[in-house]
Amino acid sequence: MNITQIVEAVLFASDAPLKAEEIARADGSLDEDIVEKAIRTLQAQYGDSERSFQVVELAEGFQILTRAEFDPYLERFDTIPRPSRLSGPGLETLAIIAYRQPIGRIEIEYVRGVACGGVIRTLQDRALVDVVARGEGVGRPLLYGTTQRFLDHFGFRSIDDLPRAEELPVVLRERIPLGAEAGDRLTSEPDHG
Amino acid sequence: MDLTGAGSTLLTRDNFLVVELDRFQGPLDLLLHLIHEQDVDIFHIPIARITDQFLAAIQVLRSDQLEGAGEFLEMAATLIRIKAQMLLPRQEGEEDQDPRAELVHRLLEYEQIREISNCLKTAEAERGRRFAKGWVPTRPRPEISDTPLETTWEDVWEVALQVALPDPADRRHTLPALSVSMEDKVSLIVTSLAEKVRVEFSRLLCGFEDKTHAVMTLLAGLELSRRHEIFLRQVTPFSELWLYRRREDDEGPPTGGREPVPEEPEIPRGTRRRPPWMPPEEDEPADPLAVLDVDSDDQGADTMGWETE
Repeated sequence: MNITQIVEAVLFASDAPLKAEEIARADGSLDEDIVEKAIRTLQAQYGDSERSFQVVELAEGFQILTRAEFDPYLERFDTIPRPSRLSGPGLETLAIIAYRQPIGRIEIEYVRGVACGGVIRTLQDRALVDVVARGEGVGRPLLYGTTQRFLDHFGFRSIDDLPRAEELPVVLRERIPLGAEAGDRLTSEPDHG
Repeated sequence: MDLTGAGSTLLTRDNFLVVELDRFQGPLDLLLHLIHEQDVDIFHIPIARITDQFLAAIQVLRSDQLEGAGEFLEMAATLIRIKAQMLLPRQEGEEDQDPRAELVHRLLEYEQIREISNCLKTAEAERGRRFAKGWVPTRPRPEISDTPLETTWEDVWEVALQVALPDPADRRHTLPALSVSMEDKVSLIVTSLAEKVRVEFSRLLCGFEDKTHAVMTLLAGLELSRRHEIFLRQVTPFSELWLYRRREDDEGPPTGGREPVPEEPEIPRGTRRRPPWMPPEEDEPADPLAVLDVDSDDQGADTMGWETE
Protein backbone atom coordinates (compact mmCIF):
# COMPACT_ATOMS: atom_id res chain seq x y z
CA MET A 1 0.00 0.00 0.00
CA ASN A 2 1.58 3.23 -1.07
CA ILE A 3 0.64 6.90 -0.96
CA THR A 4 -0.68 6.95 -4.52
CA GLN A 5 -3.04 4.12 -3.70
CA ILE A 6 -4.35 5.91 -0.61
CA VAL A 7 -5.05 9.03 -2.63
CA GLU A 8 -6.71 6.90 -5.29
CA ALA A 9 -8.95 5.20 -2.73
CA VAL A 10 -10.07 8.55 -1.33
CA LEU A 11 -10.79 9.93 -4.80
CA PHE A 12 -12.61 6.79 -5.81
CA ALA A 13 -14.88 6.77 -2.78
CA SER A 14 -15.80 10.45 -2.88
CA ASP A 15 -18.89 11.60 -4.74
CA ALA A 16 -17.81 15.26 -4.84
CA PRO A 17 -14.58 17.04 -5.74
CA LEU A 18 -12.02 17.04 -2.93
CA LYS A 19 -9.31 19.63 -2.40
CA ALA A 20 -5.74 18.38 -2.08
CA GLU A 21 -5.62 19.55 1.51
CA GLU A 22 -8.79 17.59 2.26
CA ILE A 23 -7.32 14.42 0.76
CA ALA A 24 -4.18 14.97 2.82
CA ARG A 25 -6.25 14.48 5.98
CA ALA A 26 -6.56 10.79 5.12
CA ASP A 27 -3.18 10.02 6.60
CA GLY A 28 -0.52 11.72 8.69
CA SER A 29 2.13 11.00 6.08
CA LEU A 30 0.34 13.14 3.51
CA ASP A 31 0.48 16.84 2.79
CA GLU A 32 -0.85 18.97 -0.04
CA ASP A 33 2.26 18.64 -2.21
CA ILE A 34 2.48 14.88 -1.78
CA VAL A 35 -1.21 14.53 -2.66
CA GLU A 36 -0.82 16.64 -5.79
CA LYS A 37 2.21 14.63 -6.83
CA ALA A 38 0.26 11.41 -6.28
CA ILE A 39 -2.58 12.81 -8.40
CA ARG A 40 -0.14 13.57 -11.24
CA THR A 41 1.06 9.97 -10.97
CA LEU A 42 -2.49 8.68 -11.13
CA GLN A 43 -3.28 10.90 -14.09
CA ALA A 44 -0.26 9.55 -15.93
CA GLN A 45 -1.14 5.96 -15.01
CA TYR A 46 -4.74 6.31 -16.17
CA GLY A 47 -3.56 7.95 -19.37
CA ASP A 48 -1.00 5.25 -20.09
CA SER A 49 -3.39 2.40 -19.42
CA GLU A 50 -6.20 4.12 -21.36
CA ARG A 51 -8.70 4.04 -18.54
CA SER A 52 -12.25 5.19 -19.25
CA PHE A 53 -11.95 7.68 -16.40
CA GLN A 54 -9.57 10.45 -15.37
CA VAL A 55 -8.68 12.43 -12.31
CA VAL A 56 -10.12 15.82 -13.23
CA GLU A 57 -9.29 19.13 -11.63
CA LEU A 58 -12.68 20.52 -10.79
CA ALA A 59 -14.24 23.10 -8.49
CA GLU A 60 -10.93 23.83 -6.76
CA GLY A 61 -10.46 20.14 -6.10
CA PHE A 62 -10.10 16.78 -7.78
CA GLN A 63 -12.58 14.12 -8.76
CA ILE A 64 -12.60 10.94 -10.80
CA LEU A 65 -14.83 11.41 -13.82
CA THR A 66 -15.48 9.27 -16.86
CA ARG A 67 -14.05 10.53 -20.12
CA ALA A 68 -16.54 12.48 -22.21
CA GLU A 69 -16.53 10.02 -25.12
CA PHE A 70 -18.24 7.33 -23.02
CA ASP A 71 -21.29 9.52 -22.55
CA PRO A 72 -23.49 7.61 -25.08
CA TYR A 73 -23.06 4.37 -23.17
CA LEU A 74 -24.00 5.81 -19.80
CA GLU A 75 -27.05 7.88 -20.49
CA ARG A 76 -29.62 5.11 -20.55
CA PHE A 77 -29.06 3.79 -17.06
CA ASP A 78 -31.46 4.68 -14.28
CA THR A 79 -28.76 4.04 -11.74
CA ILE A 80 -26.50 6.70 -13.26
CA PRO A 81 -27.72 10.19 -12.41
CA ARG A 82 -28.50 12.31 -15.46
CA PRO A 83 -27.01 15.77 -15.54
CA SER A 84 -29.65 18.48 -15.39
CA ARG A 85 -29.62 21.51 -17.65
CA LEU A 86 -30.45 25.06 -16.68
CA SER A 87 -33.05 27.15 -18.48
CA GLY A 88 -32.17 30.24 -20.50
CA PRO A 89 -33.21 32.69 -17.75
CA GLY A 90 -31.35 30.52 -15.25
CA LEU A 91 -28.15 30.73 -17.27
CA GLU A 92 -28.51 34.49 -17.79
CA THR A 93 -29.07 35.12 -14.12
CA LEU A 94 -26.18 32.87 -13.20
CA ALA A 95 -23.91 34.67 -15.67
CA ILE A 96 -24.73 38.01 -14.06
CA ILE A 97 -24.14 36.67 -10.56
CA ALA A 98 -20.89 34.98 -11.60
CA TYR A 99 -19.39 38.21 -12.98
CA ARG A 100 -20.81 40.66 -10.52
CA GLN A 101 -20.77 38.81 -7.25
CA PRO A 102 -21.73 39.82 -4.65
CA ILE A 103 -24.83 41.24 -6.27
CA GLY A 104 -28.38 41.92 -5.13
CA ARG A 105 -31.64 41.00 -6.78
CA ILE A 106 -32.50 44.57 -7.87
CA GLU A 107 -29.22 44.90 -9.76
CA ILE A 108 -29.67 41.51 -11.45
CA GLU A 109 -33.13 42.57 -12.54
CA TYR A 110 -31.80 45.84 -13.93
CA VAL A 111 -29.35 44.00 -16.15
CA ARG A 112 -31.88 41.45 -17.37
CA GLY A 113 -34.76 43.88 -17.52
CA VAL A 114 -37.14 41.36 -15.95
CA ALA A 115 -38.06 40.09 -12.50
CA CYS A 116 -35.67 37.39 -11.29
CA GLY A 117 -36.93 36.37 -7.84
CA GLY A 118 -38.14 32.95 -8.94
CA VAL A 119 -35.03 32.21 -10.97
CA ILE A 120 -32.75 33.17 -8.09
CA ARG A 121 -34.75 30.94 -5.76
CA THR A 122 -34.33 28.02 -8.15
CA LEU A 123 -30.59 28.60 -8.44
CA GLN A 124 -30.38 28.77 -4.68
CA ASP A 125 -32.34 25.53 -4.27
CA ARG A 126 -29.88 23.84 -6.57
CA ALA A 127 -27.00 25.24 -4.52
CA LEU A 128 -25.53 27.02 -7.54
CA VAL A 129 -25.73 30.39 -5.81
CA ASP A 130 -26.03 31.40 -2.22
CA VAL A 131 -26.36 34.50 -0.10
CA VAL A 132 -22.81 35.61 0.57
CA ALA A 133 -23.33 39.00 2.17
CA ARG A 134 -25.79 41.75 2.87
CA GLY A 135 -25.57 45.02 1.03
CA GLU A 136 -25.47 48.53 2.39
CA GLY A 137 -28.47 50.77 2.14
CA VAL A 138 -32.16 50.42 2.65
CA GLY A 139 -33.27 47.01 3.86
CA ARG A 140 -29.72 45.60 3.78
CA PRO A 141 -30.45 43.63 0.57
CA LEU A 142 -29.23 40.05 0.24
CA LEU A 143 -26.20 39.71 -2.00
CA TYR A 144 -25.67 36.55 -3.97
CA GLY A 145 -22.55 34.75 -5.11
CA THR A 146 -21.69 31.47 -6.84
CA THR A 147 -20.81 28.27 -5.01
CA GLN A 148 -18.47 25.29 -5.41
CA ARG A 149 -21.41 23.48 -6.91
CA PHE A 150 -21.54 26.14 -9.62
CA LEU A 151 -17.94 25.38 -10.57
CA ASP A 152 -18.68 21.66 -10.53
CA HIS A 153 -21.82 22.05 -12.64
CA PHE A 154 -19.94 23.84 -15.40
CA GLY A 155 -16.69 21.92 -15.09
CA PHE A 156 -14.63 24.94 -14.01
CA ARG A 157 -11.53 24.51 -11.91
CA SER A 158 -12.03 27.91 -10.34
CA ILE A 159 -13.89 31.14 -11.00
CA ASP A 160 -10.92 32.19 -13.17
CA ASP A 161 -11.97 29.58 -15.74
CA LEU A 162 -14.85 31.83 -16.74
CA PRO A 163 -14.19 33.90 -19.85
CA ARG A 164 -12.13 36.81 -18.58
CA ALA A 165 -14.02 40.05 -18.16
CA GLU A 166 -11.31 42.03 -19.96
CA GLU A 167 -11.51 39.70 -22.94
CA LEU A 168 -15.20 40.41 -23.36
CA PRO A 169 -16.17 42.91 -26.04
CA VAL A 170 -18.16 45.00 -23.59
CA VAL A 171 -16.78 46.06 -20.27
CA LEU A 172 -19.12 44.97 -17.55
CA ARG A 173 -19.66 47.58 -14.91
CA GLU A 174 -18.61 46.82 -11.41
CA ARG A 175 -21.73 48.27 -9.89
CA ILE A 176 -24.90 49.44 -11.45
CA PRO A 177 -25.17 53.23 -11.38
CA LEU A 178 -28.54 54.50 -10.43
CA GLY A 179 -28.41 57.39 -12.86
CA ALA A 180 -27.26 57.68 -16.44
CA GLU A 181 -23.51 58.11 -16.40
CA ALA A 182 -22.26 56.03 -19.28
CA GLY A 183 -22.13 58.82 -21.80
CA ASP A 184 -18.43 59.56 -21.48
CA ARG A 185 -17.48 55.93 -21.63
CA LEU A 186 -19.72 55.37 -24.59
CA THR A 187 -17.96 57.89 -26.79
CA SER A 188 -14.67 56.08 -26.28
CA GLU A 189 -16.15 52.67 -27.14
CA PRO A 190 -15.14 51.22 -30.46
CA ASP A 191 -17.89 51.29 -33.02
CA HIS A 192 -19.87 48.10 -32.96
CA GLY A 193 -21.94 48.57 -36.05
CA MET B 1 -43.66 59.82 -37.29
CA ASP B 2 -41.20 58.26 -39.65
CA LEU B 3 -42.86 55.08 -40.79
CA THR B 4 -43.08 55.81 -44.50
CA GLY B 5 -40.19 53.70 -45.61
CA ALA B 6 -40.91 50.69 -43.47
CA GLY B 7 -44.67 50.63 -43.47
CA SER B 8 -45.33 47.30 -45.13
CA THR B 9 -42.38 45.46 -43.73
CA LEU B 10 -43.28 46.74 -40.32
CA LEU B 11 -46.69 45.21 -40.67
CA THR B 12 -45.32 41.77 -41.37
CA ARG B 13 -42.81 42.21 -38.65
CA ASP B 14 -45.63 43.11 -36.34
CA ASN B 15 -47.39 39.90 -37.15
CA PHE B 16 -44.20 38.00 -36.58
CA LEU B 17 -43.78 39.59 -33.21
CA VAL B 18 -47.38 38.93 -32.26
CA VAL B 19 -46.64 35.26 -32.40
CA GLU B 20 -43.20 35.41 -30.94
CA LEU B 21 -43.57 37.77 -28.04
CA ASP B 22 -43.77 34.97 -25.51
CA ARG B 23 -40.35 33.85 -26.55
CA PHE B 24 -38.62 37.05 -25.58
CA GLN B 25 -37.16 36.95 -22.14
CA GLY B 26 -37.91 40.58 -21.52
CA PRO B 27 -37.92 44.05 -23.02
CA LEU B 28 -34.14 44.13 -23.54
CA ASP B 29 -34.35 40.90 -25.44
CA LEU B 30 -37.12 42.28 -27.64
CA LEU B 31 -35.27 45.55 -28.18
CA LEU B 32 -32.10 43.73 -29.18
CA HIS B 33 -34.11 41.63 -31.56
CA LEU B 34 -35.58 44.72 -33.22
CA ILE B 35 -32.15 46.29 -33.54
CA HIS B 36 -30.48 43.20 -34.98
CA GLU B 37 -33.38 42.45 -37.25
CA GLN B 38 -33.02 45.78 -39.00
CA ASP B 39 -29.25 45.87 -38.88
CA VAL B 40 -29.31 49.07 -36.90
CA ASP B 41 -26.10 50.48 -35.45
CA ILE B 42 -26.56 50.07 -31.75
CA PHE B 43 -24.73 53.35 -31.08
CA HIS B 44 -27.03 55.25 -33.37
CA ILE B 45 -30.42 53.81 -32.64
CA PRO B 46 -33.18 55.50 -34.62
CA ILE B 47 -35.07 55.95 -31.41
CA ALA B 48 -38.36 57.11 -32.93
CA ARG B 49 -38.66 54.14 -35.25
CA ILE B 50 -37.59 51.58 -32.67
CA THR B 51 -39.99 53.08 -30.14
CA ASP B 52 -42.91 52.77 -32.50
CA GLN B 53 -42.01 49.19 -33.37
CA PHE B 54 -41.61 48.34 -29.73
CA LEU B 55 -45.02 49.81 -28.90
CA ALA B 56 -46.59 47.96 -31.81
CA ALA B 57 -45.05 44.71 -30.66
CA ILE B 58 -46.33 44.97 -27.13
CA GLN B 59 -49.83 45.94 -28.26
CA VAL B 60 -50.67 42.26 -28.13
CA LEU B 61 -50.03 42.00 -24.42
CA ARG B 62 -53.33 41.05 -22.93
CA SER B 63 -54.65 41.94 -19.55
CA ASP B 64 -54.02 38.40 -18.30
CA GLN B 65 -50.31 38.80 -18.99
CA LEU B 66 -49.95 41.82 -16.80
CA GLU B 67 -47.31 40.21 -14.65
CA GLY B 68 -44.74 40.31 -17.39
CA ALA B 69 -46.26 43.32 -19.11
CA GLY B 70 -44.98 45.78 -16.53
CA GLU B 71 -41.40 45.29 -17.65
CA PHE B 72 -42.31 45.90 -21.28
CA LEU B 73 -44.35 48.96 -20.38
CA GLU B 74 -41.52 50.35 -18.30
CA MET B 75 -39.19 49.99 -21.25
CA ALA B 76 -41.79 51.65 -23.47
CA ALA B 77 -41.85 54.58 -21.06
CA THR B 78 -38.07 54.79 -21.10
CA LEU B 79 -38.04 54.81 -24.91
CA ILE B 80 -40.64 57.54 -25.06
CA ARG B 81 -38.70 59.62 -22.53
CA ILE B 82 -35.52 59.23 -24.58
CA LYS B 83 -37.41 60.12 -27.72
CA ALA B 84 -38.70 63.29 -26.06
CA GLN B 85 -35.24 64.22 -24.80
CA MET B 86 -33.88 63.80 -28.30
CA LEU B 87 -36.35 66.39 -29.54
CA LEU B 88 -35.48 68.92 -26.87
CA PRO B 89 -32.73 71.39 -27.66
CA ARG B 90 -29.64 70.56 -25.67
CA GLN B 91 -28.22 73.02 -23.28
CA GLU B 92 -24.68 74.24 -23.33
CA GLY B 93 -22.23 71.81 -21.75
CA GLU B 94 -24.41 68.78 -22.42
CA GLU B 95 -23.30 68.39 -26.02
CA ASP B 96 -21.89 64.94 -25.49
CA GLN B 97 -24.64 63.72 -23.24
CA ASP B 98 -26.66 61.45 -25.52
CA PRO B 99 -30.01 60.56 -23.94
CA ARG B 100 -29.61 57.11 -25.45
CA ALA B 101 -26.31 56.41 -23.73
CA GLU B 102 -27.64 54.56 -20.69
CA LEU B 103 -29.99 52.45 -22.81
CA VAL B 104 -27.22 51.58 -25.21
CA HIS B 105 -24.99 50.50 -22.40
CA ARG B 106 -27.71 48.36 -20.92
CA LEU B 107 -28.29 46.73 -24.28
CA LEU B 108 -24.60 46.04 -24.77
CA GLU B 109 -24.31 44.70 -21.30
CA TYR B 110 -27.33 42.47 -21.73
CA GLU B 111 -25.96 41.23 -25.03
CA GLN B 112 -22.74 40.45 -23.25
CA ILE B 113 -24.57 38.50 -20.57
CA ARG B 114 -26.32 36.49 -23.21
CA GLU B 115 -23.01 35.63 -24.79
CA ILE B 116 -21.66 34.55 -21.45
CA SER B 117 -24.71 32.42 -20.79
CA ASN B 118 -24.11 30.75 -24.13
CA CYS B 119 -20.57 29.99 -22.99
CA LEU B 120 -21.99 28.60 -19.77
CA LYS B 121 -24.42 26.49 -21.73
CA THR B 122 -21.61 24.98 -23.75
CA ALA B 123 -19.57 24.35 -20.62
CA GLU B 124 -22.58 22.78 -18.95
CA ALA B 125 -23.16 20.43 -21.88
CA GLU B 126 -19.51 19.45 -21.96
CA ARG B 127 -19.43 18.81 -18.23
CA GLY B 128 -22.66 16.83 -18.53
CA ARG B 129 -20.88 14.27 -20.68
CA ARG B 130 -18.63 13.26 -17.83
CA PHE B 131 -19.92 11.23 -14.95
CA ALA B 132 -18.74 10.97 -11.42
CA LYS B 133 -19.29 7.90 -9.36
CA GLY B 134 -23.03 7.65 -8.91
CA TRP B 135 -24.48 9.34 -5.91
CA VAL B 136 -26.76 7.14 -3.91
CA PRO B 137 -29.17 8.98 -1.66
CA THR B 138 -28.92 7.90 1.94
CA ARG B 139 -31.63 5.49 2.95
CA PRO B 140 -34.21 6.92 5.32
CA ARG B 141 -33.84 5.45 8.76
CA PRO B 142 -36.73 3.43 10.11
CA GLU B 143 -38.80 5.46 12.49
CA ILE B 144 -38.13 4.53 16.06
CA SER B 145 -40.66 5.92 18.45
CA ASP B 146 -39.42 7.79 21.46
CA THR B 147 -41.94 6.16 23.77
CA PRO B 148 -40.05 4.73 26.74
CA LEU B 149 -40.03 0.98 26.92
CA GLU B 150 -42.31 -0.29 29.68
CA THR B 151 -41.33 -3.94 29.51
CA THR B 152 -38.86 -4.96 32.19
CA TRP B 153 -36.23 -7.63 31.94
CA GLU B 154 -38.27 -9.73 34.39
CA ASP B 155 -41.16 -9.76 31.94
CA VAL B 156 -38.91 -10.97 29.19
CA TRP B 157 -37.40 -13.64 31.42
CA GLU B 158 -40.83 -14.86 32.49
CA VAL B 159 -41.96 -15.25 28.92
CA ALA B 160 -38.71 -16.94 28.01
CA LEU B 161 -39.26 -19.57 30.73
CA GLN B 162 -42.65 -20.40 29.28
CA VAL B 163 -41.24 -21.21 25.93
CA ALA B 164 -41.28 -25.01 25.72
CA LEU B 165 -38.57 -26.75 23.84
CA PRO B 166 -39.94 -28.81 20.98
CA ASP B 167 -40.42 -32.51 21.76
CA PRO B 168 -37.51 -34.47 20.24
CA ALA B 169 -40.08 -36.97 18.99
CA ASP B 170 -41.50 -34.28 16.73
CA ARG B 171 -38.22 -33.95 14.96
CA ARG B 172 -38.34 -37.54 13.76
CA HIS B 173 -38.95 -37.83 10.12
CA THR B 174 -40.17 -41.09 8.75
CA LEU B 175 -39.75 -42.21 5.22
CA PRO B 176 -42.32 -44.71 3.96
CA ALA B 177 -40.74 -47.96 2.86
CA LEU B 178 -40.93 -48.77 -0.80
CA SER B 179 -44.15 -50.58 -1.40
CA VAL B 180 -42.76 -52.39 -4.39
CA SER B 181 -39.76 -54.64 -3.97
CA MET B 182 -37.37 -55.46 -6.74
CA GLU B 183 -37.34 -59.13 -5.68
CA ASP B 184 -41.04 -59.38 -6.46
CA LYS B 185 -40.46 -57.99 -9.90
CA VAL B 186 -37.48 -60.21 -10.57
CA SER B 187 -39.51 -63.27 -9.68
CA LEU B 188 -42.39 -61.98 -11.79
CA ILE B 189 -40.11 -61.75 -14.82
CA VAL B 190 -38.51 -65.10 -14.15
CA THR B 191 -41.91 -66.73 -13.67
CA SER B 192 -43.22 -65.18 -16.85
CA LEU B 193 -40.23 -66.29 -18.87
CA ALA B 194 -40.45 -69.81 -17.47
CA GLU B 195 -43.72 -70.13 -19.31
CA LYS B 196 -42.89 -68.18 -22.45
CA VAL B 197 -39.78 -67.36 -24.42
CA ARG B 198 -40.53 -63.63 -24.44
CA VAL B 199 -42.87 -61.27 -22.79
CA GLU B 200 -43.88 -57.66 -23.42
CA PHE B 201 -42.84 -55.24 -20.80
CA SER B 202 -46.32 -53.79 -20.72
CA ARG B 203 -47.85 -57.17 -20.00
CA LEU B 204 -45.76 -57.43 -16.87
CA LEU B 205 -47.39 -54.21 -15.75
CA CYS B 206 -50.93 -55.41 -16.21
CA GLY B 207 -52.87 -55.06 -13.02
CA PHE B 208 -50.43 -52.58 -11.44
CA GLU B 209 -51.63 -49.01 -11.47
CA ASP B 210 -48.75 -47.31 -9.74
CA LYS B 211 -45.90 -45.93 -11.76
CA THR B 212 -43.53 -47.34 -9.17
CA HIS B 213 -44.29 -50.82 -10.50
CA ALA B 214 -43.18 -49.82 -13.97
CA VAL B 215 -39.96 -48.36 -12.59
CA MET B 216 -39.20 -51.38 -10.45
CA THR B 217 -40.05 -53.78 -13.24
CA LEU B 218 -37.70 -51.95 -15.55
CA LEU B 219 -34.96 -51.98 -12.92
CA ALA B 220 -35.53 -55.69 -12.35
CA GLY B 221 -35.33 -56.31 -16.08
CA LEU B 222 -32.09 -54.33 -16.32
CA GLU B 223 -30.70 -56.21 -13.34
CA LEU B 224 -31.55 -59.60 -14.86
CA SER B 225 -30.09 -58.47 -18.13
CA ARG B 226 -26.92 -57.48 -16.35
CA ARG B 227 -26.76 -60.93 -14.82
CA HIS B 228 -27.10 -62.41 -18.32
CA GLU B 229 -30.31 -64.16 -17.34
CA ILE B 230 -32.50 -62.38 -19.89
CA PHE B 231 -32.00 -59.92 -22.67
CA LEU B 232 -34.00 -56.91 -23.72
CA ARG B 233 -35.14 -55.76 -27.11
CA GLN B 234 -36.75 -52.63 -28.34
CA VAL B 235 -37.25 -51.98 -32.03
CA THR B 236 -37.42 -48.21 -31.93
CA PRO B 237 -37.39 -45.72 -29.09
CA PHE B 238 -40.73 -45.69 -27.28
CA SER B 239 -41.90 -48.86 -28.97
CA GLU B 240 -42.80 -51.96 -27.01
CA LEU B 241 -40.02 -53.44 -24.92
CA TRP B 242 -39.60 -57.20 -25.03
CA LEU B 243 -37.95 -59.37 -22.48
CA TYR B 244 -36.45 -62.64 -23.75
CA ARG B 245 -35.57 -65.78 -21.95
CA ARG B 246 -31.96 -66.70 -22.42
CA ARG B 247 -31.08 -70.29 -23.02
CA GLU B 248 -28.06 -71.90 -21.45
CA ASP B 249 -26.18 -72.09 -24.73
CA ASP B 250 -27.36 -68.74 -25.98
CA GLU B 251 -24.75 -66.12 -26.54
CA GLY B 252 -27.16 -63.31 -26.65
CA PRO B 253 -28.67 -61.73 -29.65
CA PRO B 254 -26.92 -62.70 -32.82
CA THR B 255 -24.66 -59.89 -33.83
CA GLY B 256 -22.19 -61.49 -36.13
CA GLY B 257 -22.59 -62.82 -39.65
CA ARG B 258 -24.58 -61.40 -42.44
CA GLU B 259 -27.88 -62.97 -43.17
CA PRO B 260 -30.43 -62.00 -45.74
CA VAL B 261 -32.29 -59.03 -44.46
CA PRO B 262 -35.96 -59.72 -44.14
CA GLU B 263 -38.56 -57.09 -44.73
CA GLU B 264 -38.60 -54.62 -41.94
CA PRO B 265 -41.72 -55.21 -39.95
CA GLU B 266 -44.15 -52.40 -39.83
CA ILE B 267 -44.48 -50.96 -36.41
CA PRO B 268 -48.03 -49.92 -35.64
CA ARG B 269 -48.15 -46.15 -35.56
CA GLY B 270 -50.14 -45.93 -32.40
CA THR B 271 -47.55 -47.77 -30.38
CA ARG B 272 -44.52 -45.70 -31.21
CA ARG B 273 -44.88 -43.01 -28.65
CA ARG B 274 -46.33 -45.11 -25.93
CA PRO B 275 -44.44 -45.17 -22.65
CA PRO B 276 -43.45 -48.69 -21.69
CA TRP B 277 -45.65 -48.84 -18.61
CA MET B 278 -48.79 -48.12 -20.53
CA PRO B 279 -50.86 -51.14 -21.46
CA PRO B 280 -50.85 -51.87 -25.18
CA GLU B 281 -53.78 -50.91 -27.26
CA GLU B 282 -56.32 -53.60 -28.00
CA ASP B 283 -55.59 -53.87 -31.68
CA GLU B 284 -51.85 -53.93 -31.39
CA PRO B 285 -50.52 -56.87 -33.26
CA ALA B 286 -48.16 -58.22 -30.71
CA ASP B 287 -46.06 -60.18 -33.06
CA PRO B 288 -42.82 -61.15 -31.38
CA LEU B 289 -41.63 -63.02 -34.44
CA ALA B 290 -41.57 -59.88 -36.53
CA VAL B 291 -39.37 -58.28 -33.96
CA LEU B 292 -37.23 -61.34 -33.78
CA ASP B 293 -36.67 -61.26 -37.49
CA VAL B 294 -35.41 -57.77 -37.32
CA ASP B 295 -33.25 -58.54 -34.38
CA SER B 296 -31.62 -61.37 -36.18
CA ASP B 297 -29.92 -58.84 -38.37
CA ASP B 298 -26.95 -56.86 -37.18
CA GLN B 299 -28.34 -53.83 -38.89
CA GLY B 300 -30.71 -53.54 -36.03
CA ALA B 301 -27.94 -52.49 -33.71
CA ASP B 302 -27.60 -49.00 -35.06
CA THR B 303 -31.04 -48.34 -36.41
CA MET B 304 -33.35 -50.00 -33.96
CA GLY B 305 -32.86 -48.49 -30.61
CA TRP B 306 -30.97 -49.86 -27.72
CA GLU B 307 -30.22 -53.27 -26.46
CA THR B 308 -28.95 -54.37 -23.16
CA GLU B 309 -27.07 -57.44 -22.12
